[in-house]
Amino acid sequence: MAQTSRIFHIVRIAFAVIGAAVVLFLFLNHSEQLDTPLMDYFTADFFAQTGAQNSVAAIYLNYRVFDTLFEALMLMVSVMEVINVSWANKHAEKYQFEKDDFNRKGNSEIVVRMVGIIYPFVLLIGLYIIINGHVSPGGGFQGGAILATALITRYLVYPNFDLDLHALEIVEKILFLSIVMTPVLYVFMQIQPADTTISHQIYMVAMNSLIGLKVFSGLSIIFYRFVFYEGR
Amino acid sequence: MKPLDFITGEIVGILLFFIGLYGLMTKKTIVKTIMSMSIMESGIFLFYITINYTVGSVPPIGQAQEAAFVDPVPSALMITAIVIGIGVTAIGLTMFMHYKQKHGITHWSRNRNQTGSEH
Repeated sequence: MAQTSRIFHIVRIAFAVIGAAVVLFLFLNHSEQLDTPLMDYFTADFFAQTGAQNSVAAIYLNYRVFDTLFEALMLMVSVMEVINVSWANKHAEKYQFEKDDFNRKGNSEIVVRMVGIIYPFVLLIGLYIIINGHVSPGGGFQGGAILATALITRYLVYPNFDLDLHALEIVEKILFLSIVMTPVLYVFMQIQPADTTISHQIYMVAMNSLIGLKVFSGLSIIFYRFVFYEGR
Repeated sequence: MKPLDFITGEIVGILLFFIGLYGLMTKKTIVKTIMSMSIMESGIFLFYITINYTVGSVPPIGQAQEAAFVDPVPSALMITAIVIGIGVTAIGLTMFMHYKQKHGITHWSRNRNQTGSEH
C-alpha cells in the first residue's frame, strides 16, 4: 500500500515537472508573435472616444464594460455566499462575543500609535486613486482595495464588531444596481448629450467611484465575516 | 543569453502555475488545495501581465506618443480576474469551514478522522 502511494507520488511529481518543462520549451522556442489588433484599436484614439486618459480605464469602463458588469456580479455573489452559506448563521448562539474579547489582543503600543497616524492617509490615498482613476494609474478596483485596507487597520487597533454588515450588504446591492444601470443607459443605449467631452469624464468618475465603493464594501464584508465568524 | 534573462514574468508565471498544479495533485488537506488554487491564479496573472512587453514601451496613459504603448488589454482583463480570484478564494474557505464544522472533514480522504498537515 505504501509502495503504491509512493509510486503515485513520484508519478505526480514527474507529471508536474514534465508538464512545466514541455510548456516552457514550447513557449521559449515555438511561441508565435501574433498581431495585436485589439491593442491597436484600443490605444489608437481612446481619449477622444471615451474621455479617459488611462487606456486601461477606457477598456474596462467603456470598450469592454460587459466584463466589469459580470465581475461586479461575481464579487456580489461571493459576498452573498460568504454571508449565507456560513455554518455560523445557524449556530449563532455559539458566536456571542464576550466583552473582554475586544481587548484580548493586547496589541502592541507601536502598532496602535502608528496605525492611528497613517489611518487618514490611507483613506486619502484610496479616495485619490478612485477619483483620479481615469487620468492616472489607478481606478475603482485598486482604490476600493485600499479603502478596505483602512478598515482592516481599524480592526488591528480596535477589534470591535460594531459594524452593521447587513446594512453594508444592502449598500453593496444598491451599488451593484447602479453599476449595471449606468453603463446600460450611457454606453449601450447612448443616452448622451451632444457634446460628450465633459459627460464622458463625469461618467468615468462616477463609475470609478461606484466600483470603488462596491469593492470596498465587498472586501470589508468578507474580511469581517472571516475574522468574527469563520475564524472561531 | 545571460542566465538572468530567463527569469522573466512569463517563465515565472508558468512555473508558478505548475507548482500550484503539483499542490492540487498531491496535497490532501482542503486548505492546501485552496492555497494551490490561489498560487495557480497568481501564475496566470503574472503571465498575462507581462505578456507582449517590448523593452522601452511606456504605460498607456495620456496621448504622448514618443514611445510605443504597453498593451493595455491584459492589464484590463487581469484587473477583473484578480477581484474574481478573491471571490473564489473566499467562497472556497467559507465552504471549507462549513464542512469542517458540520461533518468534521478537513481532508480529501475517506478516513474521517484524518488530521495533521503532512499530506
